[in-house]
Amino acid sequence: MTDYDQVEILLAEDNARDAEMTMRALRRINLGNKVHWVKDGEEALDFLLRKGDYQDRDPSQLPKLILLDIKMPKVDGIEVLRQVKADETLQLIPVVVMTSSNEERDVVDSYRLGVNSYIVKPVHFAAFVETVANIGLYWVLTNRVPSEA
Amino acid sequence: MRVPQFGLRSVRHKLLAGVLLTSMAALLVTGVAMLIYDLRSYHETQVNDLTTQAEIVGRSSAAALQFDDSKFAGDNLALLSSRPGIRAGAIYNARGALFASYVRKGTDRNALPLLPETDGVHIKGETLDIYRRVVENGEILGTVYLQSHYEFYERLWSYVAIVLGVSALALAVSWLLSLWLQASVTRPILDVTGVARNVVERRDYTLRATKSTDDEIGYLVDAFNDMLAEIGRRTEAMETSNRELERQIAERSEAERALRDSERRNRTLVNATTSVVWTADGNKLFSTEQLAWAQYTGQPPDECHGKGWRKALHADDCELMDGKWAGAADAKEPFECEVRLWHAASAGYRFVSLRAAPVLDAEAGVVEWIGTVTDIHDRRHAEEEIRTLNAELEERVRNRTEELQSTNKELESFSYSVSHDLRAPLRAIDGYSQMLEEDYRERLDGEGQRLLQVVRQEASKMGHLIDDLLAFSKLSRKPVDTSGDVDMTHLAKDVAEELMREREVERVRLDIWPLPSVRGDRALLRQVWVNLISNALKYSGSKPRSEILVTGEVTNGAATYRIADNGVGFDMKYAAKLFGVFQRLHKSDEFEGTGVGLAIVQRVVTRHGGSVRADSKVGEGATFYFTLPVRTEND
Repeated sequence: MTDYDQVEILLAEDNARDAEMTMRALRRINLGNKVHWVKDGEEALDFLLRKGDYQDRDPSQLPKLILLDIKMPKVDGIEVLRQVKADETLQLIPVVVMTSSNEERDVVDSYRLGVNSYIVKPVHFAAFVETVANIGLYWVLTNRVPSEA
Repeated sequence: MRVPQFGLRSVRHKLLAGVLLTSMAALLVTGVAMLIYDLRSYHETQVNDLTTQAEIVGRSSAAALQFDDSKFAGDNLALLSSRPGIRAGAIYNARGALFASYVRKGTDRNALPLLPETDGVHIKGETLDIYRRVVENGEILGTVYLQSHYEFYERLWSYVAIVLGVSALALAVSWLLSLWLQASVTRPILDVTGVARNVVERRDYTLRATKSTDDEIGYLVDAFNDMLAEIGRRTEAMETSNRELERQIAERSEAERALRDSERRNRTLVNATTSVVWTADGNKLFSTEQLAWAQYTGQPPDECHGKGWRKALHADDCELMDGKWAGAADAKEPFECEVRLWHAASAGYRFVSLRAAPVLDAEAGVVEWIGTVTDIHDRRHAEEEIRTLNAELEERVRNRTEELQSTNKELESFSYSVSHDLRAPLRAIDGYSQMLEEDYRERLDGEGQRLLQVVRQEASKMGHLIDDLLAFSKLSRKPVDTSGDVDMTHLAKDVAEELMREREVERVRLDIWPLPSVRGDRALLRQVWVNLISNALKYSGSKPRSEILVTGEVTNGAATYRIADNGVGFDMKYAAKLFGVFQRLHKSDEFEGTGVGLAIVQRVVTRHGGSVRADSKVGEGATFYFTLPVRTEND
C-alpha cells in the first residue's frame, strides 16, 4: 500500500508473524486494506510525524487507530506512546497497545501515558483473531473520534 | 535493785544501838541510884522505927523493971502484935536475964537470944535485931530486944525486877523508834543510793531521787538530783563530743583508705602502663633528666636535654605537635597528638600518643608541662587493618548487592522476555497451524488434520507452562502484603462459584462451611483457593459425582483449612514431591496440568508464615490442609 492517506489503522509490530495474523484478522472484518504496517517504533514515529520516507504524507489525514506493540527494536512502544500523547494533534488518535507482555509495569506505564486500551495478545490463534477483530470493530467502526483533528 | 545487807554495820542498827545504849545507861544509873537511895532509906527507917519502938517499949517497961513486974512488961510487949513487921521482942533485966518476951505467932521461940548484947543494930539475913538499954535516971534497968523482919533483899530483888522491866519496855520503845528512824532517815538514803546505782548501771542521767522530807535528807536528795542533772549535762556534752570525734575519726580513716586505694591504683597504673612520663619546663624544654624518655628513644640524657628531645620525633610530625602545643599553651589546657617517635628497641619510628598538661602557678602562668607518651603503634596498625578489612567487606557487600541487584534485574528482564518473546512464537505456531488448517483444509486428509491439532495442543500446553512459570516466579519477587483482613468464607465461595461455571452442577457437590478469617494478601490467597478447589474438581472429575468439602477451624492461634475430595487420590510415598515445581503424580494425558499449582499454593502459604500438607490414599480421595497464623489486632 502506497497511498498513506488511506490509512485508517497504523500497526506497529516488529514480529512479522504477529503482524500477518493481525492483518489476517482485520481482513475478516474488511479493514485489511486500510492497515499500514510499520516494523519498529522509529518507523511508527516517522509515519506519524512525517519524517524520512513519510515526509510527503498529508498531515490532515490521520489514522483512526494505532495498534502498538511494546517490545520493538530501536524505539519501543512506550516511547512511541509517550510522543504520540505529547503531540497536540496526534494525542487525539486512539492508541491500543497489543502486546505479549502481561507485566503490570507495562500496563501502568501505558495507562499513565494515556493509552486508550491495553490488550494482551492471546496465545491461541482463535482467541487472537477474535480479539483483533473486536478491537478493529470497536475502535474503527464503533468508536467516535473528534472530527476536527 | 538489790539493797545490800550491811548487817550490824547498817545505819539502822547503829541508830538502834545508840538509842538502846543511851536508854539502858540512863535506866541503869537511875535504877541503881534509886535502889541505893531506897535501900538506904529503908534501912534507916527500919532501924529508926525499931529503935523508936524499942525506946517506947523500954520507957513503958522501965517501971515494970523497977518493980520487977514482968507481967506488965509482958503486956507491953504484947502490944507489939499491932506491928506485923516485928517478929519477936524481949526484955532483959539488968542482970541480963530474960524478963519478958513476945514472939509473933509462927516465929521460932528459940530466935530470942539468951543474953542481951550491947546497944546496937545487928542484921542477920532477913532479921534485924536491935538492943536498947533501958536507962532511968542514969541507971541501967535492963535491955530491950526487938527482932524485926528485914526486907532488904526482897526490896533489892523487886527493884532489880522493876529496873529490868523498865529496861525491856525502853528497848521495845527504842526498837519502834528505830523503825521510825529507818523510815524517815534510812529509806530516803537508800532511795538516793538506789537511784545512784541505777544511774551507774544504766547510764541514765534523767533519773531523779524522790524528795520525801524537808530535812537534811531532803536537802541531800536535792543536792544529789542537782548533781545528777549536772552529770547528765556533762555526760551528754561529752557523748556529743565523742560522737563528733568518732565521726571525724571514721571520716579520716575513710579518707585515708581512699587515699591508700588511690595510691595503690596510681602505683598499679603507673606500673601497668607502658607510658613514658616526661616533664618539660614552661618553655617546653627538658630541664631535668628524663629517664623514661631516654630509655624509649635511646637518646642519651644530655642529648634530649633542652630542645634536643625533638630530634627523636619524626620530622614530618613536629609541625603537627608544635601547632597543638602552642594552642594548648595559649588556652592553658592539656593537649594530645599522635606522632611518630623513634623507638630505640625496634630501631624505627612508632606511632605514639603524646599527651601533656600544663602545671599552673598562682598567677596562672605555665610552670611546667607533665606529659606521657603512649605507644599506640600496634593499636593503630590493628585499627588500620580493621579499617582495611571493613572497607574490603563493605566493598564486597556492595559488589554482592550489585550482583544481586543485577541478577534480579536479569531475572526480571528474563521473565519479561519469557512473557513477551516466548509467547510470540507459540502464537505463531498456533496461528499458522490454524491458517494452514483454514486455507488448506481440502488438501489435508484426516491424519494431516490430526497432526496439526497435536501441534496446536502442544503449543497451547507450552503457553500454560509459561504462564504458570511466570506466575510462580512473580511470587518470589513480589513482597506479600499481609495487612488486609481476608474473609476466607467469601473468598472460597467466590472462587468455587467461578470454577463451577465451567462445570455441570449436577455432577458436583461442593460444600463450603464457615471459615475463619485471616490477614493476608487477598489476591494470593485467592490463587490458593483457585488451585486447591480446581485440583479437587479435577481429580474427582472421574467419579460419577464429585464430592468436595471445605472446612476450617482455629486452634492454638492458627487457622487450618481443609479441602477434602473423593477423587483418585495419590500414593502417600510421593507426598514429598507433591508441592514441588513441575512435579506431577499423574500422567498428563490423565489429568491436565503443569505441576505448578500446588507449588504456588505452598509458596503463598509459606510466605504468609503458614504451612501445607496433604493426606490421601490411592482411589479414596485426597485431603489438603493449609494453616495460616491468626493475628490479633495487637500483633
